[in-house]
Amino acid sequence: MNASEYLPKDEVAIIGGGPAGMQTALALSERGFSVRIYEQKEQLGGHLKGWHHLFPHGVAASDLLGQLKEQVLARAVPLHLGQSVDRLQKVGAGWVLWQGERPLGRAGVVVLANGFALFDARRKEEYGYGLYPSVLTAADLEAVFRKEQPWPFGSDRMAPQVGFVHCVGSRDLKCGSPHCSKLCCVTAVKQAMAVKSLFPEAQVYCFYMDLRMHGLEYEELYRKAQVDYGVRFIRGRLSEAAPGQGKRLHVKAEDTLQGRPLHLQLDMLVLMSGMVPAFLLEQQERAVFLKEPVFGSGFVPVQGLLAAGSVVQQEGLFASGACKGPATLPEVFADAAAVAREVEQYLKSLKAVAHA
Amino acid sequence: MTPLLWKDYQKEVPDNHYFFVRSCIRQTFFPGAEAALLDILRNSLGLDVFEDRRHTTCTGIAYHCDLVPLETIMTVIARQLSLMTEAGYRHLLVSCVTSFGIYLEMLDMWQHHPEMLEQTREALWKSTRRSFELPVALVHTSDLVYHLRKPIADRSPHRLVDKSTQRALRVVDHVGCHYAKIFPAGGFGGAEFPSVLSGLAETFGGEMVDYPERRHCCGFGFRHYLLQENRGYSLSNSRIKFESMEAFAPDLILTNCPGCNMFLDRWQYTLAEMSGKTYDREGKGIPVLSHEELAALMLGRDPWTLGLQMHQVQLEPLLDKIGIVYQARQKYSMLAGAASLPGEPSVLKVSFQ
Amino acid sequence: MASLLSQLKDDIRFSEGLSACMNCGICTAVCPAAAYFDYDPRRICQLVQTGDEQDLENLLKGEEIWMCGQCLSCKARCPRGNVPGYLIQALRKLSQQSGHFIHSREGRKQIRLKRRIGHSILETGYCVHPQMVEPETHPEQGPVWVWALEQGADLYRRCGSNYYGEGEGGLRKMAPGVLDELEAIFEETGGLRFWEAIERGAEELKLNTEP
Ligand SMILES: Cc1cc2nc3c(=O)[nH]c(=O)nc-3n(C[C@H](O)[C@H](O)[C@H](O)COP(=O)(O)OP(=O)(O)OC[C@H]3O[C@@H](n4cnc5c(N)ncnc54)[C@H](O)[C@@H]3O)c2cc1C
Ligand code: SF4
Ligand code: SF4
Repeated sequence: MNASEYLPKDEVAIIGGGPAGMQTALALSERGFSVRIYEQKEQLGGHLKGWHHLFPHGVAASDLLGQLKEQVLARAVPLHLGQSVDRLQKVGAGWVLWQGERPLGRAGVVVLANGFALFDARRKEEYGYGLYPSVLTAADLEAVFRKEQPWPFGSDRMAPQVGFVHCVGSRDLKCGSPHCSKLCCVTAVKQAMAVKSLFPEAQVYCFYMDLRMHGLEYEELYRKAQVDYGVRFIRGRLSEAAPGQGKRLHVKAEDTLQGRPLHLQLDMLVLMSGMVPAFLLEQQERAVFLKEPVFGSGFVPVQGLLAAGSVVQQEGLFASGACKGPATLPEVFADAAAVAREVEQYLKSLKAVAHA
Repeated sequence: MTPLLWKDYQKEVPDNHYFFVRSCIRQTFFPGAEAALLDILRNSLGLDVFEDRRHTTCTGIAYHCDLVPLETIMTVIARQLSLMTEAGYRHLLVSCVTSFGIYLEMLDMWQHHPEMLEQTREALWKSTRRSFELPVALVHTSDLVYHLRKPIADRSPHRLVDKSTQRALRVVDHVGCHYAKIFPAGGFGGAEFPSVLSGLAETFGGEMVDYPERRHCCGFGFRHYLLQENRGYSLSNSRIKFESMEAFAPDLILTNCPGCNMFLDRWQYTLAEMSGKTYDREGKGIPVLSHEELAALMLGRDPWTLGLQMHQVQLEPLLDKIGIVYQARQKYSMLAGAASLPGEPSVLKVSFQ
Repeated sequence: MASLLSQLKDDIRFSEGLSACMNCGICTAVCPAAAYFDYDPRRICQLVQTGDEQDLENLLKGEEIWMCGQCLSCKARCPRGNVPGYLIQALRKLSQQSGHFIHSREGRKQIRLKRRIGHSILETGYCVHPQMVEPETHPEQGPVWVWALEQGADLYRRCGSNYYGEGEGGLRKMAPGVLDELEAIFEETGGLRFWEAIERGAEELKLNTEP
């Protein structure tokens, strides 16, 4: 008798309980499929757990997360928290999910929704993250907004000088990430405005190369940051940050539109660390491994234009959300609906074959 | 895999058997430094370091002045390697940082463009009837001193500590640009946080100071220094560094590149003459030492045989802090007997006895 | 005659130096020459990648390419893996090879540098040596340097140097045959021909006497 007979068996197993995992689970559950979420952390929410408020309208991240969780609870989607899937084994037409030597469950279809990782800003050595306390990442600044972390400058500084560096670990061959993370531009605008709201006397600079304001109302937000908040946009990528006078930082960039080098003393430097693959998908004949990413490894590859989430080379394996590449929440939600539809079609086609 | 963090940049340095090539600038301005290095390696540590008198300049200075075509410098480098090969060595020990960068660059080009290696072999054969093997290790002398820092410190009677107060001496480092900015993996600590000098100073008990313009170039600029009317470029870039380190009141500037060692010494004098300003509190300037000079002092070598009297910024304040005993009267005397004294700068304070 | 652009592309330092520039300005921000001169490596990359022959000619005739200090600080930082410092090497080579260098003040200085540093290599085996550093033209070397040169061999030998002597060690006189080998290498690899191009420029300027 096979031990795996005792494992939970569902139509769909979802790996990852972030926004993508939750929304995909909801969409499939609403269509009547049995779905189960495997989440490595003790809580649902993914990166959304760490954000304070969301672009472009400033909705509180906790409100959105609360709504999502409520719906997941209401539909009674089974949750396996604290379980990290690292291997999928093909058995018949379906999959067995493994964590190390331990089988966790079985499913006809697996949806990868295990998201992205934040670029490790220490790898951009010249910015001194991890060495100089006044250098933060965008994620750290969200934690500061959430009052989980103190401001890096003293409370006596009413007019802090603050810099935001776009494209940290994005569009950077040296760091092995050639892609654009696409939402750090608007995140920088959102955060710059928030800093100005809290410190109206602050001088806030955004160092950008191109402002990728692709989403609905992002461009308007950019203008608002200039007009209503006095945020200064400098077209030039930061070359280095070094300790300056007192606790300040000394940074160098070129104002490329003026064609001249620029030196500034800052109280806080925020690195817009980009979105990078959280894992490396290693595909074998009848097994798929979720491994540590290596230098230059990419996101999950999916089939052509008509398929939102079918993973290249694997029958019955789908991917949803930011594990396929940088995506905003609205995009993640729209994608979840599209992936759910594709999963439905796949499961129906299996049934049709079985009946024939 | 490409190293992810500066801490991962650790290079392999062989323990022994080196073929040594000199530096034009080091032997011009700091002749005692190379002599002391060889003495330490051979006599204090018992290493096998071979030098062939037929080796020449690498032509690196002329190359970076754009006076030498790439094919030419490649073949000159190949000739040095042929001497190494002939002597039976595969570990190259390079005194100059410019040279070190050149060797790294040529090896890199040969690796990525094997046809260039073939052309070079052919050119060298045609012009000199020589052939060569590639080195298995390319080591700057500061790499080797860093690698040997523990045995050196174990033999050292001194520490980088103020003997009277027990305060760790504050050291600022200036790593030559071509040490690791061209090939970060070629040096300890990579391009942004090279540890080759800081690790040395810390082993001797010094306190490293991270100053804002730590990674800024000293301003050699090759053609810019060599052309008198362009020298303001060199001066102003060194000045950026002095201004940046001044607030930290360093006891010592530590370098690994002969050019940097000279500039950071001489420009302090020039700036003092021009503006009346020195970058220490007593008007004596901040002492400058290279890695070999520091190692030699720590091992108790005589400062005047080491040639420290050839520095314009006097070293005595540092020697006194460390507690190194020296013969003041020997400083300016020559093998042949007493010699004349150097002239006195109008601002920078020097001590004659 | 091949276009300047195609000649530039033949130089390996062009392909190693510039693949595609995104005009981010990181190189300019870290560049010590940009801090001192009216010089912008990013702008040079942009100009070259537009590939306009006239722009290129103007660049080769102008002052800007001579500002780079060759510290190569830009190499460590460019997010596109470009090396503006290598591009400069290729441009300067072409400027001298094509004779355009004589149109700029900075370019013309190559004649003096070639006769000094270049010739020193084949005459002594060194790029620089103490006697080239004359106190009159090197006032920044200070009184200690005047003194050191006055002491000459006495001082240098005390510090373990061979100071222009026969045999081994620092500053030794080159052994017989060594300089001939160097010259043969320069001959074989185009070093001497390159110098002739510089001298042709000098002749054009009637700068035969030491400028
Ligand atoms: C700084 C920053 C600010 C942002 N702000 C906004 C904003 O204001 N508005 C907006 O629309 N978007 C914003 N985003 C984007 C938003 O965070 C993403 O769109 C969203 O988090 C993607 O959801 P996801 O579920 O695909 O991935 P994730 O949020 O990364 O969730 C993945 C989940 O999978 C789990 N997991 C991973 N591997 C495994 C495994 N092997 N086994 C089990 N579980 C696993 C993880 O623990 C995690 O819970 C921001 C992004 C960043 C970087
Ligand atoms: S979204 Fe903006 S900051 Fe982020 S990688 Fe793209 S261009 Fe750079
Ligand atoms: S750093 Fe690179 S990409 Fe950026 S401007 Fe300079 S050459 Fe272009």
